Amino acid sequence: MKNHKGYGRFVILCLTPAVVLFFIFMILPTLNVFRMSLFQRGAYSPTETFVGLDNFKALFQDASFIRSMQNTILLIVVVTLITFALALLFAGILTREKLRGQNFFRVVFYIPNILSVVVIAGIFSAIYKPENGLFNSILSLFAGHTVQVLWKDAPMVMTSLIIAMIWQAIGYYMVMYMASMSSVPQSLYESANLDGAGRIAQFFKITLPLIWTNIRTTLTFFIISTINMAFLFVKAMTSGGPNGASEVALSYMYGQKDAGLYGYSMAIGVMIFLFSFLLSAAVNKVTKREPLEF
Amino acid sequence: MKKALSFVLAAVMALSLVACGSKGGDTGTTDSKDPVTIQVAALESAYGADVWKEVTDAFTAQTGIKVDLICDKNLEDVIGASMQGGEYPDVVHLATGREAGLTEQFIKDKNLTDLTDVLSMTVPGESKKVSEKIAGGFTETSLTNPYGDGKTYLSPMFYSPCGLFYNAGLFEEKGWTVPTTWDEMWELGDKAKAEGIALFTYPTTGYFDAFLYALMYSVGGAEFFDKATHYTDGVWDTPEAKTCFDIIAKLATYTNSITPAQANDNDFTQNQQLVLDNKALFMPNGTWIVGEMADAPRADGFKWGMTALPAVEKGGDSYSYTWFEQAWVPSGAAHVDEAKQFVAFLYSDKACEIFANAKNAEGQATPAVQPVLGVSKDLTGDNQMFYSIYDNGAKAAMGNFASYTAVAGLGTVREVFLDPVNSLVNGTLTEDQWIANIKTASAQMLANIQG
Repeated sequence: MKNHKGYGRFVILCLTPAVVLFFIFMILPTLNVFRMSLFQRGAYSPTETFVGLDNFKALFQDASFIRSMQNTILLIVVVTLITFALALLFAGILTREKLRGQNFFRVVFYIPNILSVVVIAGIFSAIYKPENGLFNSILSLFAGHTVQVLWKDAPMVMTSLIIAMIWQAIGYYMVMYMASMSSVPQSLYESANLDGAGRIAQFFKITLPLIWTNIRTTLTFFIISTINMAFLFVKAMTSGGPNGASEVALSYMYGQKDAGLYGYSMAIGVMIFLFSFLLSAAVNKVTKREPLEF
Repeated sequence: MKKALSFVLAAVMALSLVACGSKGGDTGTTDSKDPVTIQVAALESAYGADVWKEVTDAFTAQTGIKVDLICDKNLEDVIGASMQGGEYPDVVHLATGREAGLTEQFIKDKNLTDLTDVLSMTVPGESKKVSEKIAGGFTETSLTNPYGDGKTYLSPMFYSPCGLFYNAGLFEEKGWTVPTTWDEMWELGDKAKAEGIALFTYPTTGYFDAFLYALMYSVGGAEFFDKATHYTDGVWDTPEAKTCFDIIAKLATYTNSITPAQANDNDFTQNQQLVLDNKALFMPNGTWIVGEMADAPRADGFKWGMTALPAVEKGGDSYSYTWFEQAWVPSGAAHVDEAKQFVAFLYSDKACEIFANAKNAEGQATPAVQPVLGVSKDLTGDNQMFYSIYDNGAKAAMGNFASYTAVAGLGTVREVFLDPVNSLVNGTLTEDQWIANIKTASAQMLANIQG
């Protein structure tokens, strides 16, 4: 009994630093975001006025906020769908097929993920350059005349962000899927072969159901990381321009802080928090299946 | 078990509070014993960081007041967090118009110390008063007296004439003359178009502020400028306003079409490159452009030229906007009196000389010119030409849009007035829509105007 008590104390002592740090640096600031969203104040001003839900009321009449949310949702949907499909396809090919230079492809696909977003923005700045950029040069080569697509101008700017974000994200999710695919027993595929199932049937009937738990986890990752990465990409590539056309929710929130509307930007923060939380919960609920065992 | 856990948690939190608190206590005791140390936070801009080191050293040598200097390219990130925690530097050198808008926030929140009495202070080490040294007009604008009550809250620093920059070599080669009216400008635009050169480009829409201010002055003089920058009711329906909008909208059709795609903080130098490559004739800019593009490739025979904004009609006034930075004292500063002495010292002959000999990180001369009488006479090279713009007939335009209390969803002056120029160029917005948006926003700005 005495021994057990000492063990308990030891556990508490070991856990305390982490719990305290987590509380001070994670829980407290998050609660503070909710509190400050009810006030009107500047970032450096010591005075604050309680305004209740006024900040939230203003949000729904703010056309710029609505546009930034639309852009965020567009990115979440398109980037998730395309990255998800391509990452699964590449992972399937690299684990199931015997390819020459398999390791080379694994490395190449993963490299974008270890680059910093600023570096990626620099690379894509060169790719998207209107004059003699990589994309426009290739297009001109095939068109036979000079093509000048303005990748970072109004109609194309979101597409340009989407391409860069997919390019960056594929490697990471590919590796996640490859890890779980390689743990699917070989014998299942062998018996499926004997039953006459083709490769595509095997992929949909065996591989997909068996890595379902993993896919569900990555869907949550997709939502959270797209919201966060979109901010970095927008900041580093377009600064929200031209004329706010590529503004996303987090970059708009950041800009409002600089405009002296700290409480308002916290209200945007609350909206993004609730949005990503609810969306993740919904996706989790919709994709719930009985887990399959090997 | 639960009790023990909560006890430990409470103990750790109490300890962390003690640890945080003791730091404040220490500085309190040193204050009373040692000679005063003021903290100066200055933006490291195109003029480099060395000048600030030299000026603060010279100040300490003159007055015995020690200076703890913070100089950084991202000054807002360095001092922002501690200011949110209530610790303010004693003097801040940071201009309005930066993306983070820190100075604007201090103006809007009325967190600045009144510096009017600095003007009647004697410059440390000299016999003249500060007001006798600062050139006329600099302490009478809304950039220094933001609340329109005749009190100076921000002290004018480094000034630079802004205007349209061009390749003077190309004009000589083609035998073109620099237009003096907008009609001549459009004529030149058509001539250049025939040769595959666009008339105009701009680095980012932010550069339109100086352009718009000078344009408003040249169209309607100081009276119209004051009405417009104070969002006076009906001002946007006047013929003067219509002329301004028409000129900018027409200029948008003469702008190199790839400009908006590069008009962001990452690619704006590529727009500046268009002028160096003879793909656009004019761009609005400031004298720092020479140092900024010093290493960029350029067309053969390239030579910097700078002109004031063309006049609206023949014989009319042409204006060049005087852009200047500001130094200020937060109202939360601990050593206000010493801070004011430092501000006064910034206008001493010694400080002006140090600033005028500024070099950037690459070692190129980038003179920072204080708004002090007689300083610009000693300049050499391109800068002599730039700073003599007012001697050659151009009038000086100063001031900016009046400060207003931030309102959710309203947007900043840049977002309302300037950013839409991108959309005018790429055709996603018409001139009428732009004007309508300005009218709606301007009414709200008027309702929340400060001072």
